Amino acid sequence: MAERGAGDRGGFGRGFGRGRGDRGRGDRGRGGRRGGRRDEEEKWVPVTKLGRLVKEGKITSLEQIYLHSLPVKEHQIVDTLLGGRLKDEVMKIMPVQKQTRAGQRTRFKAFVVVGDSDGHVGLGVKCAKEVATAIRGAIILAKLSVVPVRRGFWGNKIGKPHTVPCKVTGKCGSVTVRLVPAPRGAGIVAARVPKKVLQFAGIEDVYTSSRGSTKTLGNFVKATFDCLMKTYGFLTPDLWLETRFSKSPFQEYTDLLAKPTKTILIENTERIEA
Amino acid sequence: MGEVHIGLPGPWAENCREKADHYTTKIGGLPDWPIPEPNIKRELLYCRVCDGRLCLVAQVYAPILSTKLNIEERAIYIFGCPNQDCGKNPDSWRAIRLQKGDQDSEPNLALSNTLPSEKESFPMDGASNWLKDTLLMNDSGKLNDGSVGDKKLDDLARAFSEASALSSCSKKQNRKKRNNSSTRARVGRTTAEETPVPVLPCFYIYFQTNQAHGSIDAVSSFYSSLTLKEDVYPATDTDEEEKWVGETYEYDKALGADTTYLKFKKQMDTYPEQCLRYSYGGIPLLATSNSIEPDKCIHCGSPLVYELQLFSPILYFLQQAANASVACSADGWSWITLIVYTCSRVCTSYLNS
Repeated sequence: MAERGAGDRGGFGRGFGRGRGDRGRGDRGRGGRRGGRRDEEEKWVPVTKLGRLVKEGKITSLEQIYLHSLPVKEHQIVDTLLGGRLKDEVMKIMPVQKQTRAGQRTRFKAFVVVGDSDGHVGLGVKCAKEVATAIRGAIILAKLSVVPVRRGFWGNKIGKPHTVPCKVTGKCGSVTVRLVPAPRGAGIVAARVPKKVLQFAGIEDVYTSSRGSTKTLGNFVKATFDCLMKTYGFLTPDLWLETRFSKSPFQEYTDLLAKPTKTILIENTERIEA
Repeated sequence: MGEVHIGLPGPWAENCREKADHYTTKIGGLPDWPIPEPNIKRELLYCRVCDGRLCLVAQVYAPILSTKLNIEERAIYIFGCPNQDCGKNPDSWRAIRLQKGDQDSEPNLALSNTLPSEKESFPMDGASNWLKDTLLMNDSGKLNDGSVGDKKLDDLARAFSEASALSSCSKKQNRKKRNNSSTRARVGRTTAEETPVPVLPCFYIYFQTNQAHGSIDAVSSFYSSLTLKEDVYPATDTDEEEKWVGETYEYDKALGADTTYLKFKKQMDTYPEQCLRYSYGGIPLLATSNSIEPDKCIHCGSPLVYELQLFSPILYFLQQAANASVACSADGWSWITLIVYTCSRVCTSYLNS
């Protein structure tokens, strides 16, 4: 198999230095003449199609992404759409060890929860050799896992929703967590660790009940997160109305780009819970 | 395995139809053939699905310089169909490899006479042959000299119209191309500029060698949104019940992304703008775990070796630059990466006059 020897740089250097190639290291002002922006902060070059749509501003809220169950593969998407409302907090950094022939290898595992206290929450877990790397990686993973949280009422439907809409239960490992609607003013009745996740989700009042080995707090917090993911998966009578399906953003904007002169009527049938 | 060269975007071309030489690596624009364009078989330049004219996506100068094999005049051209429907079909993609062989078994006078005058930097002697090979592009595509090429698109964003998760699609694309053309009319004219061919916005690529892997961890510090004070740790747990026990190493996982994709993204984040990754005989950077192994070379049967891959920032830059004056745009495409494999024996088949 032919391999590139030491002279391969010369090969590229030739293409680089000959003809039009020698302007390779010229100005990197990309798109300056074509209308693209190149601020120093906006160095995000989207890799996925969804990222490109978000960067252009064609998608304005996370709810459009959730409505069509599109996977979010770039954390900058969540950053752009939720912006400064998203807060993050490190719940725990713990060392995990692996036994090797040369002793023990210690890595750090970071648990980070992000949320805007208004219906969006994400949980990220990352192992890395250094603490700072683990924290940064966990923040990115948490942003990739942001989910919507449905809130409802305990009794009278007055004011804004403050509690979970129904009893939901989530499980991870041996830990099961059950969230029960609570009246206003009850507060979050939970252990310290899942209470943080529920605060970040924007739930104000809830009763919780847990079962299993809650000492494994990693599983405990993941069970709570799983529970919050299920709130929008629960069919309640007010969702009985048949859905009118709208076009996925990909399809909508593919048509838009194909015929730039035609105006597209965008039908928005997403139901945002009050 | 050689080192990895990262192709980063350089300056835009002033005019997307401007000419360079075949030593230039660029995205978009018109292909700079070292031989006159009529020499190239027509069916190579036309889409197999819709029979429309293909536009150049990338032109890479790819010499092989090693002790065993020394081919300096070698270039790879990657074509795609700008038609909206063809972009999703792997059959519409095409890669062509052109190289100059050392042995001149068939001196082709017609070729030598018709070197276009604009290519003065062309160092070939009069009696040298340019070997035209169609490349097969797979996810693990091989570049062959010769007719058949497999092309597989690692396209994670194919399911647009479905409201389901993106899935990677890999289809083999076989393309038959006959190198030998005995009926080629040799006319001493320049590369065909008369018929308007679709052309993408053009920019040049410059290469950097990949830095040591130790710096990958530092990349996440680029993100200004991840500022976190180093000494902010959660309060120590004084309660007995809050001992976090039983934790072991856990692989990265997010709701929409699996471990393979997260590793891919980590590599992409070292150079967020990277358009091209060249590593002859190296390992491709895959975005999904279900990739298809490359077949053997159609012509000589030798195994295919990974050569280069394109990334989706190309689509981003092309779409940013798209305007009405450009004949075609990259809007119909939505792949994450395009992997090109070439024949490990660098087999050739000569052009017969």
